[in-house]
Amino acid sequence: MSYLFAAYMAIWILIFGYTLFLGRREKQLQEELFLLKKSFEKRYQNS
Amino acid sequence: MDMLKGIRAIVRKDLTAELRTKELLSSMAIFAVLTIIVFVFAFDPTKAIVRQVFPGMVWVCFIFAGILGLNRSFVSEKQNDCITGLMLCPVDRSVIYFSKMTVNLIYMGIVEIVSLPLFTVLFNYQIPVKAISPLVLIIFLGTLGFAAVGTFLAALSSNARSSEILLPVILFPVMVPVILGAVQATAAILAGSPAVEWFSWLKILTAFDAIFLVVPLVLFEYILEV
Amino acid sequence: MTVQNNIPAKWKYHNVLAWATFVTTAVAVYLVFMWVPNERIQGPVSKIIYFHVSSAWLAFFSFFVVMVGSIAYLKTRNLKWDIISYVSAEIGVLFTTIVLVTGPIWGRASWNAWWTWDSRLTTTLILWFIYIAYLIIRSSFPEEEKKARFSAIFGIVGFVDVPIVWMSIRWWRTIHPTIVTSGGFAMDPSMVLTLMVSLAAFTLMYFYLLQKGIFVEKISSEVALLKQRLTEN
Repeated sequence: MSYLFAAYMAIWILIFGYTLFLGRREKQLQEELFLLKKSFEKRYQNS
Repeated sequence: MDMLKGIRAIVRKDLTAELRTKELLSSMAIFAVLTIIVFVFAFDPTKAIVRQVFPGMVWVCFIFAGILGLNRSFVSEKQNDCITGLMLCPVDRSVIYFSKMTVNLIYMGIVEIVSLPLFTVLFNYQIPVKAISPLVLIIFLGTLGFAAVGTFLAALSSNARSSEILLPVILFPVMVPVILGAVQATAAILAGSPAVEWFSWLKILTAFDAIFLVVPLVLFEYILEV
Repeated sequence: MTVQNNIPAKWKYHNVLAWATFVTTAVAVYLVFMWVPNERIQGPVSKIIYFHVSSAWLAFFSFFVVMVGSIAYLKTRNLKWDIISYVSAEIGVLFTTIVLVTGPIWGRASWNAWWTWDSRLTTTLILWFIYIAYLIIRSSFPEEEKKARFSAIFGIVGFVDVPIVWMSIRWWRTIHPTIVTSGGFAMDPSMVLTLMVSLAAFTLMYFYLLQKGIFVEKISSEVALLKQRLTEN
């Protein structure tokens, strides 16, 4: 029984870990994108 | 027959360059011999178990020495941008692949001719006379498969900055059938088993060789793009 | 110069897909733990099979998608296909890892050995190495075009290699005496149904992860583009 538990824990940890990792990567990139856009806009207004 | 002519020309060019320096062949041969010495120290040659792992040791030695040659075969063309010169040759791109593969096959053949007798001497291993011709066939097919897929992936990895590290990592998983087939067939032949026992390995090796001689024919032009 | 406001949008049905995945997975878990009877000989441990087999199937499917994407990329040179292959390879490695983790746990429980060089498990291991190599190739070429081209070539070679790896390993196993075989699993209809639902759940999960990964990759290439423009002026 504990083997079954271990196996399913492993499956969920892997899947959730990957989803979390994807989500974090997405958030990071969104922030970076936002900053980049802002710096572009600033430059655009100045010129 | 233009293709054969092209292959001959490039092979001759590579062999001439190699014969002038002898840098690659000598290090491959020395490396192979050193591997044998390491095996002698690692597995006591007087023990009976050595007879069972002998085919595996032989192939590990061949493959490790072969990797040295593969690593150089395209990286050496990168210096001074010789690869552009090769690509300007009025031949099909696959001709470049087949000539490089032939060169690797020749190098590995030389290394095998040197190291196999040394193996038998240093491990005191007697190869039965009637096993010699099937053994040569299996070694040829195994080496051909190794050179076929190895040359292709060496061309691919030569474009990376750390190509020497990249090549073994991408090559070993792909050539699992060659290692398995060659080692198992060699073991069966050396044990004097009837041909039926290693015939399926012969089929696997032949199939692998055929596939990985055809695949580069189609895909090699994508590797050598500017 | 103007700043285009082209932040990549999420796929229209993103939320639908997410909920569908969640619901089917919940149903699958319910069926596996509450509904389906235990297999007679192996007991509760046999319940690993439902998700183990589903992951194995999806791993294989992802690698098939990698090959299709690779061929399409080489034909069309559209980076869209490269992104699909890349994301699919990553998910495939994830599912292969699940197979490689659950396989030994099951093996340990039912025949008391963590690892047997069983032909299916061994092939999965080699598959894992091949696609790890695919991901390593991607990380060793910084240039977008080279990365896409070389990984596409390897994606095709790797997939072509799979059947021959499988055959050679099977032959290898038949020569050596096998102590244990993993075959022989009597399935009654309720088990088949549970397996089908798990399979559906994992397939939906694959597509969910795929579209999510593609979305993330799109943002990432947008960021790279903007950075490049920022350095240009």
